[in-house]
Amino acid sequence: MMTHRTIRIPFGPQHPALKEPENFMFEIEGEYVVGVKPRIGYVHRGIEKAIEGRTFIQNLYLVERICGICSHAHTTCYTQAIEEVLGAKIPPRAKFIRTIIAELERIHSHYLWIGWAAHEIGFETLFMYLWRDREIVMDLLELISGSRVHYAMNTIGGVRRDLPPEMVERVRKGLDVLEDRTKYYKKIVMTEPTISKRTAGIGKLKPRDALALCAVGPTLRASGIKRDVRADDPYIAYDEIPFNVITHNGCDVMSRLFVRCDETFESISIIRYAMDHLPKGKIRIKVPRKIPEGEAVSRVEAPRGELIHYVKTNGTTKPERYKVRSPTLGNIPSLCKMLVGGYIADIPIVIAGIDPCFSCTDR
Amino acid sequence: MVPEGVVALLEILLFPGFLFLIALAFFYEWIDRKLLAKLQNRYGPLYTGPSGLLQPFADFIKLLSKEDITPKAADKLMFSCAPLLLLSFPLLALFLVPVNGLTALISFEGDLVFLMFLFTLIAVTIFIAGWSSVNRFSTVGGVRAAFQMLGYEIPMTLAMVGPTIGARTLSISQIVGWQSHNATWFIWLQPIGFVIFVICLLAELEFIPFDAPEAETEIVAGWSTEYSGRKLALIRLGKDVELVLAASLITSLFLGGPSSPLPIPAIVVFLLKTTLAVVLLTILRALFARFRIDQMIVVAWKYLIPIAILQMVLIQLGLGR
Repeated sequence: MMTHRTIRIPFGPQHPALKEPENFMFEIEGEYVVGVKPRIGYVHRGIEKAIEGRTFIQNLYLVERICGICSHAHTTCYTQAIEEVLGAKIPPRAKFIRTIIAELERIHSHYLWIGWAAHEIGFETLFMYLWRDREIVMDLLELISGSRVHYAMNTIGGVRRDLPPEMVERVRKGLDVLEDRTKYYKKIVMTEPTISKRTAGIGKLKPRDALALCAVGPTLRASGIKRDVRADDPYIAYDEIPFNVITHNGCDVMSRLFVRCDETFESISIIRYAMDHLPKGKIRIKVPRKIPEGEAVSRVEAPRGELIHYVKTNGTTKPERYKVRSPTLGNIPSLCKMLVGGYIADIPIVIAGIDPCFSCTDR
Repeated sequence: MVPEGVVALLEILLFPGFLFLIALAFFYEWIDRKLLAKLQNRYGPLYTGPSGLLQPFADFIKLLSKEDITPKAADKLMFSCAPLLLLSFPLLALFLVPVNGLTALISFEGDLVFLMFLFTLIAVTIFIAGWSSVNRFSTVGGVRAAFQMLGYEIPMTLAMVGPTIGARTLSISQIVGWQSHNATWFIWLQPIGFVIFVICLLAELEFIPFDAPEAETEIVAGWSTEYSGRKLALIRLGKDVELVLAASLITSLFLGGPSSPLPIPAIVVFLLKTTLAVVLLTILRALFARFRIDQMIVVAWKYLIPIAILQMVLIQLGLGR
């Protein structure tokens, strides 16, 4: 609604609070936001079209590069879709290794986000500490896969590298340190008054709105709704591993902080369980280069929320159509809901609250 | 025998005048940056000079050599004057504070009031700098700086008045003299006033948690967004001098100034105490998240002012002097 009293302020595509270019046009009345229009597509790279022109093996690496943080979630989703079309059953050991990498990635992503949120509210010290400790999990991922960000662990029919026992021991040691650190950070987040001043009651999203606007991931769970693809539609090894779906009822940015802190603990226990119960056997099966005609939808709980991939194949070595729906896209309508009625000064932290990844969104 | 005029001139130009104070400003910026980095588990300045000691100076030289851009829409006169004023006000104020010995270079009855006036002028100049830049971020930053001033000005003045009541003088040099004469510090007599003064100085210096006027993630560099080159160099030097001013005011009003019961040269005592004050300000700055500007005003009016008044009442009742 436009009235003569509002002024329009553009936020982005270039703005220090945004790590990736995206534009939000705000309607401002005094210090309050009364309306917001998002405009996405600034980092569109035509990945879906590019996928149609490459073979299924080449696409593994392209899909991985949709996102720089949840790269494993994208390849898991991709391989799952292709394996479904093929009707291939991957070995249990591969499933567990995929799960371990996925959860390490979740820890890495949540650490990154909590640090970034601290930066958005001006808590530079916490930001520095978290990003220092994030190096531990990055080193573990490098140890397992040989790479810090694009692990290239998944392949159609399994995983590319094994997880030998001595590596498991080192991962276990790293996890002990991470558990200690996470406890410490959770204490800080819960007790530091300046953090609660900037996050409690900010960016409210009622459970009803969260459902109506299709929020996903930690944003949805921070509104008290117990929904997680890992539990609702278990994929890889999640049906064999016990874990809790974390929810908090605050519906604000602070709850989103708590949800991510607690999910980090859950991830640590999932990894421990998976390493204790790591099945023996092969890590991959051989699959044909040509994929038979068919289509599949695959869902994965990425660190940011539900990720959906769709593939349509036509019996050649290349897919006919590919579609990616990233969690950030699902969260943008609810983000607009959260922003309206808030202060201008809270815009950065509220936008940060959904952990947006605009490169995923625009593909 | 050197003529008196030459001595006075050297005092103003070299020690403890311009040269010394500016060198000190660079040194304290280094302490601040290095310590903040240590607290945040970083290295901080490392390569220029021993442990990066010369980094602030190198930054200054680099900025001087950079292109100086004035926006077309800016109010040219105001835009160019503001950096000069932002450097000269804190430098002038420093001449009122005793550095080497018990009296300052300029000392008269009522110089504390003049110093408070200079503090206000700095905040007003920041507002003018932001306003004359004609940039969304600068304007918001300038307005926030002015808002912030409304918050911290009154409690800070009240906290500064405490020692003047105790020493029954409005001269900073005489307050230092009183503390030296009575062999006590006002931090012991008026601890509440000290705490309030330090908090207000954090706001004056735009340190976290009161750095809303230059909140990076919200408004880029706040009121100084449009400044570059020589002007930015002057602004940054002015900020450093302000840090020296803040530290030396804490020293003079609450820590007994450059005097000590031991036979140590006054300048060493001054350096020790001001370094301590800088360390205190830096540690506080590393501990918090940023307050929103409205929260800052609420904190100032709801808590700081009543507590400052409480301190005044205590002084009037005879406690703390």
